[in-house]
Amino acid sequence: MARKASPARLVIALSVAALLAIFLVYTAIAGGGRPVLQPGKLKGHREKVSLGGKVVGPVRSSAKSGYRFRIRDVNGTATIPVVYRDTPPPQFKVGREISVDGRVRNGVFVGDRGTLVTKCPSKYSSKPS
Amino acid sequence: MPELGRAALVLCLGLSLYAAAAGAFAARTRRRRLAASAANALYASFGAAVIASLVLAAALLRHDFTFSYVAGHTSRELPVAYTLSAFWGGQEGSLLLWLLILTAYAAAACALNRRRAPDLVLWVVPVLGGVASFFSFLLVVVASPFGTQPPPLDGSGLNPALQNPYMLAHPPMLYLGYVGLTVPFAFAMGALLSRRADERWIVATRRWTLGAWAFLGVGQLLGAHWAYVEVGWGGYYAWDPVENAALMPWLAATAFLHSVMVQEKKGMLKVWNVLLVILAFGLSLFGTFLTRSGILSSIHSFTEGSIGPWFVGFIAVVTAFSLALVFVRLPLLRARTKLESPISREATFLYNNLLLVALCLTILWGVIFPILSEAVRGEASAVRGPYYNFFLRSFGLPLLLLMGIGPLIAWRRSSLRALRRTFAWPAATAVATGVILLATGAGSSLLGVVAYSFSAFVLASIVVEFALGASARSSLAGESWPVALASLVARNRRRYGGYVVHAAVVLLAVGIAGSSIYDTVREKTLRPGQTLQVGRYAVTYRNSVERRAANAQEFRALVDVRRGGQLIGRMQPGRNWYPAEQQASSEMAIRRDWTRAEDLDLIVQRFNSSDGSIELKALVKPLVNLIWLSGLLFIGGALIALWPDAREQRRLAARYADSSVAAPA
Amino acid sequence: MTLAYALAAALAVSCVVLVAWPFLREPEPRLDRVRELSDLEQRQVALAEARDRSLAALKELEFDHRTGKVSDEDYRALVGPLRRQAAEALRALEPRLERTARQPHAEPATEEPSRGVE
Repeated sequence: MARKASPARLVIALSVAALLAIFLVYTAIAGGGRPVLQPGKLKGHREKVSLGGKVVGPVRSSAKSGYRFRIRDVNGTATIPVVYRDTPPPQFKVGREISVDGRVRNGVFVGDRGTLVTKCPSKYSSKPS
Repeated sequence: MPELGRAALVLCLGLSLYAAAAGAFAARTRRRRLAASAANALYASFGAAVIASLVLAAALLRHDFTFSYVAGHTSRELPVAYTLSAFWGGQEGSLLLWLLILTAYAAAACALNRRRAPDLVLWVVPVLGGVASFFSFLLVVVASPFGTQPPPLDGSGLNPALQNPYMLAHPPMLYLGYVGLTVPFAFAMGALLSRRADERWIVATRRWTLGAWAFLGVGQLLGAHWAYVEVGWGGYYAWDPVENAALMPWLAATAFLHSVMVQEKKGMLKVWNVLLVILAFGLSLFGTFLTRSGILSSIHSFTEGSIGPWFVGFIAVVTAFSLALVFVRLPLLRARTKLESPISREATFLYNNLLLVALCLTILWGVIFPILSEAVRGEASAVRGPYYNFFLRSFGLPLLLLMGIGPLIAWRRSSLRALRRTFAWPAATAVATGVILLATGAGSSLLGVVAYSFSAFVLASIVVEFALGASARSSLAGESWPVALASLVARNRRRYGGYVVHAAVVLLAVGIAGSSIYDTVREKTLRPGQTLQVGRYAVTYRNSVERRAANAQEFRALVDVRRGGQLIGRMQPGRNWYPAEQQASSEMAIRRDWTRAEDLDLIVQRFNSSDGSIELKALVKPLVNLIWLSGLLFIGGALIALWPDAREQRRLAARYADSSVAAPA
Repeated sequence: MTLAYALAAALAVSCVVLVAWPFLREPEPRLDRVRELSDLEQRQVALAEARDRSLAALKELEFDHRTGKVSDEDYRALVGPLRRQAAEALRALEPRLERTARQPHAEPATEEPSRGVE
């Protein structure tokens, strides 16, 4: 039985190339990710970043200016004032670790609406919470 | 009693190490009694794990706060069910659950296959013993659930976000899935170690893999439902690393379930199948590592313990060992059959696999991107929803289409004429659906129209498959149509169960498309008497109330819902405050409209005590309930595919009996 | 506390007994080897799989033809080679089966003493 040259390898190679192409095109156009930073490293970043850290009180809120508080490095002392013009999720409170997207304007971090997430308090740490 | 628990875990460690070491030695030197002894050690390790689990469970139920774990995760007022669920609510306990399930699966897999494939089980025992040793080691040395302390008056309680029925079902389901992937991995390694190039290992683990995959799928759907109903942000999947951690092994397992069919029919893809099972198992380990190590920023992630590096080491060892083994046995696995045509069922399975693995790897890339970018650039950088959604669409839509194409194409090759005939009806359905959608205004999103049309295509092709099959069978066997349908399914459980699962996936796709592409969101501050318009609904805020429940204070906004001027219901969105844990939770109110399968979700962002107003967020999510319905269909299809088939069992037994090396036990 | 230690000891003892059981049960075994699959048997398994594969493929081809998935020309082109393949697989399996004395299909056969103990 004469066996035709199998198109399998060609088909596979072309498919893989196509998938890679989609991937490369996307990353080229949309760029890399958004930096994930803590207050200590914010200096010099003017673009949109994802800020993480611990909430430091007092937390002030008003209908006009939203929520105002400070965020501190998880293992450090650098802090930055934050303004968030949306309602934070219910687990938000002083001392909790959160993450919020936004950018620094005039020394104050302005958070984007709906991007503040609180981290679940230590469920898996070996230390008592 | 903690001493008993600790002793049981140490025993479990010793037994698993023995199973691994003695088992490997016995396999190498082919000693029968030693091999039996190693297998017994595996069974005994299950017993030890059961004892350790019972000790922990009893301590939880007794509120024995001398156990640090019990004090850290429960409180006296906690309802019984949640007290029990605290077993897996923390690091140490969840590791113990993992070990329990692992040893249970290991014992069962070895016991069931001991007589049918003894030379395979010979090597499977040490592999399973090795994995069990790792987890026992963690429990004995790194994260013991049996640490003690002077008992406090009351425990710290369970995070209110975890106090709901999902906590009882979601983690155990996921673990049954994750851990289940260990069995096909062990059998694959066993086959390679025993130099068997045949399908025995696949035949032996077919139902295990299907079962693990089904548990993992259902577990994820439960998690999504939990996020939707309880966490209350109106969504069900956030591409959070921990969510992806379950999705990735599931995608790899899905690819595996399909590609083994190609090996079964054509004897091809042997190496690919082994690599896929290694990938699935590796990803399940990686997934649990991600959840526990705190290495990634996630709403689920927790403070770093020392457990991360151990997992990394184990994953590295497993990967290195399995890849080395595959490399060494490569000559054994080479197949001579080739793909005959790019338009054949084998080829569509191949495309399906490529797409699934590509999706899995892009998600993996997104998940580890922060780690990589930090290592390379010194600064962590994360990718978000848009990245994942782009690839879900790019790879997911073709996958959806393939689900419809695959069943309609024959093995080996299909001519265009045959294709034109079989595709006619499904294609027409798809086009008609597209036209109707455009005509009724769904054209606002081309993506939505495409997704729905593809879904229609797949559903039509499934109906065609059932119909053609039943009518062929009915004329062949002279049976009436319903009987023909039943016997068709009974004789081909995997295929037709698979089609039902495909239908479930289509429902899922339609539900996701509807609720994310065609949804409506509105936010407004409302004083009593004021109304918010969202979609077809008018939501009027009446007033708020405060109630006291078992362990919480409940604040609720009473709201009237009207549609077309008619009052159709009352809802009570709000928030809870838990004094013991000093925590709040958002209680989203959901109104389900079953005729339209859509939900109206109301979230109270804030109660303003000064003027009695509320900040209300309202969402209308069309077709979202199809997502949950698809779960039921998914379970049904999986059950059909899993159902034991006596005829098939006899045939397989006969196939391997000729050469079986039944060792006198 | 002593109860805990007693239970732990009992657990340990039972585990040790279970692990040692194969040795306790047969202190002087006639044979202590697990027989490996010989090359002949491996090839037989491979042939059995090939046979099952061809037979299943034929059955499926017939069914697909009946339901219209496979056109008449495709059927004609595919069925010949498949039938040949199946026949070859069946033939290849038979002499070996006589050697190891068990026929998988319900045909009466003379049973020779089966797989040997080494």
